[in-house]
Amino acid sequence: MAKVKCAWFDFASCEGCQIELTNYGEPFVELLQHIEIVEFREVMTEKTEAPIDVAFIEGSFTRESDRAKLERIRDRAAVVVAYGSCATCGGINALKNHTDDYKQEVYGADADKPHLDSTKALPISAAIKVDYEVKGCPMDKDEFLGIVQQLVHGTAKVYVPSYPVCVECKRRGTVCRFDEGDYCLGPIAQAGCGAPCPADGIPCEACRGMVQDANQKSMEKVLMENGKLPERWAKQKTRMFTANFREDA
Amino acid sequence: MKRCYISDEHLNGFVEALMGRGPVIAPVAKQSRFVFEKLETVDDLMLDYDTTILPPKVAFFPTKQELVTFDGKEAKSCINPTDQVLFGVHPYDIKGIAMSDKFYTDSHVDENYMANRRATTIVGSSVQKHYKHAFFGSVCMEVEVIGHDMFLTRVAGGYVADVLTDKGEALLGLGQFGDATDAQAGEADQVNQAAMENCPEKLENTSAQIRDKMRSSFRSDVWEELSEDCFSCGSCNTVCPTCYCFDVQDEWGLDGVSATRCRTWDSCLTAEFSEVSVQGGCENFREQRAERFRHRFMRKAAYLNEQLGGPACVGCGRCSGACTADIANPVVVINKIMEQ
Ligand code: SF4
Ligand code: SF4
Ligand code: SF4
Ligand code: SF4
Ligand code: SF4
Repeated sequence: MAKVKCAWFDFASCEGCQIELTNYGEPFVELLQHIEIVEFREVMTEKTEAPIDVAFIEGSFTRESDRAKLERIRDRAAVVVAYGSCATCGGINALKNHTDDYKQEVYGADADKPHLDSTKALPISAAIKVDYEVKGCPMDKDEFLGIVQQLVHGTAKVYVPSYPVCVECKRRGTVCRFDEGDYCLGPIAQAGCGAPCPADGIPCEACRGMVQDANQKSMEKVLMENGKLPERWAKQKTRMFTANFREDA
Repeated sequence: MKRCYISDEHLNGFVEALMGRGPVIAPVAKQSRFVFEKLETVDDLMLDYDTTILPPKVAFFPTKQELVTFDGKEAKSCINPTDQVLFGVHPYDIKGIAMSDKFYTDSHVDENYMANRRATTIVGSSVQKHYKHAFFGSVCMEVEVIGHDMFLTRVAGGYVADVLTDKGEALLGLGQFGDATDAQAGEADQVNQAAMENCPEKLENTSAQIRDKMRSSFRSDVWEELSEDCFSCGSCNTVCPTCYCFDVQDEWGLDGVSATRCRTWDSCLTAEFSEVSVQGGCENFREQRAERFRHRFMRKAAYLNEQLGGPACVGCGRCSGACTADIANPVVVINKIMEQ
């Protein structure tokens, strides 16, 4: 069987998801038996313009000038996979979306340099059609491998849950952050990660995005009443990873 | 029923002897809560726990269970029971286990469940501390506490050990048990009676009254109101000793040939639970969160009564504490419905 030609591309991101991929070790090596990497800046210098079977795109769409680049990738690729929170929901980059002074805050004297111009951080799907999404900051290993496995072998569709992180958290028998006097965004966060954060004793920050029909009003209330967050903080909390899911996005 | 006694100083020796034979799953502390876990040392045993995060059925029905593996040629069953002791189960949870046993054998004997269940000896224990939401003294009174093999009740200086089955009888040789005196047996009965009476929360009506009222409230607007803050997060299901639904998924290996079929505890409060595939797409037969919220109460208080001889709720109070929105408490919801 001919190997599946895969290429990796990155946009506005920390490239943490690419690093995460190379950290997979054994499964990554096994994966290499089934795929041929034709472009991957993190691990090789070659570039191509030839058609590719699968394009993996990391990072958010935050510059109009990137639209043409994304469209070119779409034209060349049979399948487009957006991976990581930046690419699937705007991720942590969307933290800037409600502000207009972020360039001053972050870059100070350099703020006016033209290459720093950007607009709202949006998912890749805001610019081009995306066939598969792998959520998480960084992306989830099993979900990524499952989807690649499915693409390579044409096996049954990979199941990704649509419910909140609490489901997976409870299944692990983790002590709820709220029972420990802490707060947590698990009730509105998209599951699939296996709820590692509460299990490690830290709140879920909904890095994978929100579930559909997330009860945001109830979350604010619970953050204030049980999580003891001040109102202002409770109302801002979901800007960290899920700004694009907010009712005011 | 044989009533024995074991003193405090001999209890640890008994538990260690059990641990010498095989795994002992028992309540241990986890931060501010407790969980059923394999005992590593007898010192971890917390018989004065209030309740655990997950119900004790985890001992033979893990939240994720492998059913079948496939290597491309041959499918292999994952049934592989280990003889074990489930130790320190409260009476309400014993009822919950008896209900699960029924669910998994009534119309079809589920071997993936039953093989582990049969390999498990259950030693119950009296409630020494109440979970803040416990109401087991006023719910499911028509269902007997059965299905365990031995039951330990905390009395002065030790435990009265009731021996209920041959499996329980077989444990006697592992500890320094003597016969319980009439006074000790009487004290044990009082202790268990008091535990029922001292629950911090209470239902005000009988199961039959609640069942009828529940059914007639089906179309009430109150469900909308009660579920307004619901996250559809399923915590109320996942922690429940009587919930038994599961989801089956195949997990493929990277080679695209090998696979494992697994099942995972499922929750009817999540939106995807009631999604079904129909020609050309997907339909959800309980699309609104109020419908799903109502469904849990209908299941617990009305639908399953006939099959179980009582409601499918044993009053552990876990769901009340697990619900971050604080809307899942059956005592609050049922008492409110009864007032309508
Ligand atoms: S999703 Fe997270 S880890 Fe991945 S590129 Fe974005 S910021 Fe980095
Ligand atoms: S710790 Fe967070 S994710 Fe876990 S049950 Fe509590 S709220 Fe849900
Ligand atoms: S628990 Fe929450 S923050 Fe942690 S990985 Fe999962 S979604 Fe992200
Ligand atoms: S419904 Fe709630 S109180 Fe009743 S058995 Fe289930 S978890 Fe316990
Ligand atoms: S009732 Fe509470 S625990 Fe149950 S799904 Fe709704 S928010 Fe979650």
